[in-house]
Amino acid sequence: MLKRLFRFIIQRSAAAVFIVLASLGTAQADTITVFAAASLKAALDDIAVQFEQSFDHKLHLSFAGSSALARQIERGAPADVFISANTNWMDLLEAQGLLVPDTRVALLTNELVLITPADSGITPWPIDEIDIVTLLEGSPLAMAFVDAVPAGIYGKAAFVFFGVWDELSQHVAQTDNVRGALALVARGEARLGVVYATDARAEPRVSVVATFPKTSHAPIVYPAAVVAPATKAAQEFANYLMSPEARLIFNHHGFGSANP
Amino acid sequence: MLFDFSPTEWQAIGLSIKVSLVATLCSLPFGILVAYALARWHFFGKQVLNGLVHLPLVLPPVVTGYLLLVVFGTRGPIGGVLQDWGLVFAFRWTGAVLAAAIMAFPLMVRAIRLSIDAVDPKLEQAASTLGASRFWVFITITLPLTLPGILAGGVLAFAKALGEFGATITFVSAIPGQTQTVPSAIYALLQVPGQETAALRLVLVSVVLAMGALLLSEVLARRASNRTGGA
Repeated sequence: MLKRLFRFIIQRSAAAVFIVLASLGTAQADTITVFAAASLKAALDDIAVQFEQSFDHKLHLSFAGSSALARQIERGAPADVFISANTNWMDLLEAQGLLVPDTRVALLTNELVLITPADSGITPWPIDEIDIVTLLEGSPLAMAFVDAVPAGIYGKAAFVFFGVWDELSQHVAQTDNVRGALALVARGEARLGVVYATDARAEPRVSVVATFPKTSHAPIVYPAAVVAPATKAAQEFANYLMSPEARLIFNHHGFGSANP
Repeated sequence: MLFDFSPTEWQAIGLSIKVSLVATLCSLPFGILVAYALARWHFFGKQVLNGLVHLPLVLPPVVTGYLLLVVFGTRGPIGGVLQDWGLVFAFRWTGAVLAAAIMAFPLMVRAIRLSIDAVDPKLEQAASTLGASRFWVFITITLPLTLPGILAGGVLAFAKALGEFGATITFVSAIPGQTQTVPSAIYALLQVPGQETAALRLVLVSVVLAMGALLLSEVLARRASNRTGGA
């Protein structure tokens, strides 16, 4: 009796598993997996809602640091579209032939800003006239890793450009990503910090002291590309990213367009 | 060269050892006290204390780090008061010690508690009937018998502190010489294409340090249990 019941359960669950697997197989055809840099989360969440309304595709968004995502794609992660926060990780994937040729575009631009807690009393000032060390009053200057994380690399380059890096470097508190630096300033633990304009816009507890001129660091470009093997749905989403509708949302979140 | 470390890497290695050692030594008395309380005392809120102790084990390290920043930062309720007394955690190596100690605490307490549980209460009762005070019983009977567990807990905490990254980076960021430990140096290296070899060297250092500590504790624990007549 028990044995028969047991066999019945096994048969039923095997059937259920088969049905689930089969439905996964059909759904896969129009499911697009997007690997995107963490700083794009708010904007892409908005875009996904619109895209899924206009197209009959389902989007899976996976956000992390560009380096982690690129390494996952290198190891065969099932990404259909990759949007990186800087060019060198995209270059690496392109060099290994992991991208669909001619699908890479310069999708977005961003700006680098110097921020302060909203209640610090520090007012906007031209970047080349700011005496940062004095303004810090002994607190650290919050930046993402200056030799590793893009936001930190751009920031270091800008300070080198203005000839103040040697004096500043000993005051820098480095965080694992740009949002960590943002949090330190937002909490008031650091009186100044270097983040993207889009980060500063998303955090009401900080205000912008100055925007770094584009000439002071390498261009901040977010490239996007379709990851091999190509699918029609992935290409449709990549095209949608460049559409006026998507642009509007990116601009709303503070991103600029790379090719005007 | 594989083991040709740069000055900043040496600095990170030295700092990691210092932070982990201080974190382990400073938290050991508390670890023994809490383990003893959880093993032997019955009091109101015991399960709450047990839960609190284990919280860093289950919380995402970034959350623990953020809570530390909120509470022990210069603007935090405790951090602000301690700052007036001259004890600053924010962006100092002491902050890295605090983060490492809190992350390692549950492992330390668990190991010590297990060995306290294993001590035969009759030995303690015998000492009491022979006139020893509760404190003296603890020092002469319980502590020596739990020494292997205390060593194991200490080494486990040291190894955990050595690898702590999430809470430390969120709480005190990475400042070379102050809070940039080996794990955060490894993390930074992995963010750049082509730095895998440099990262691997530091990973090997971490493995060697942790294995060394583990072996040392095995030797010490064996000696301790030989002296107390085997356990």
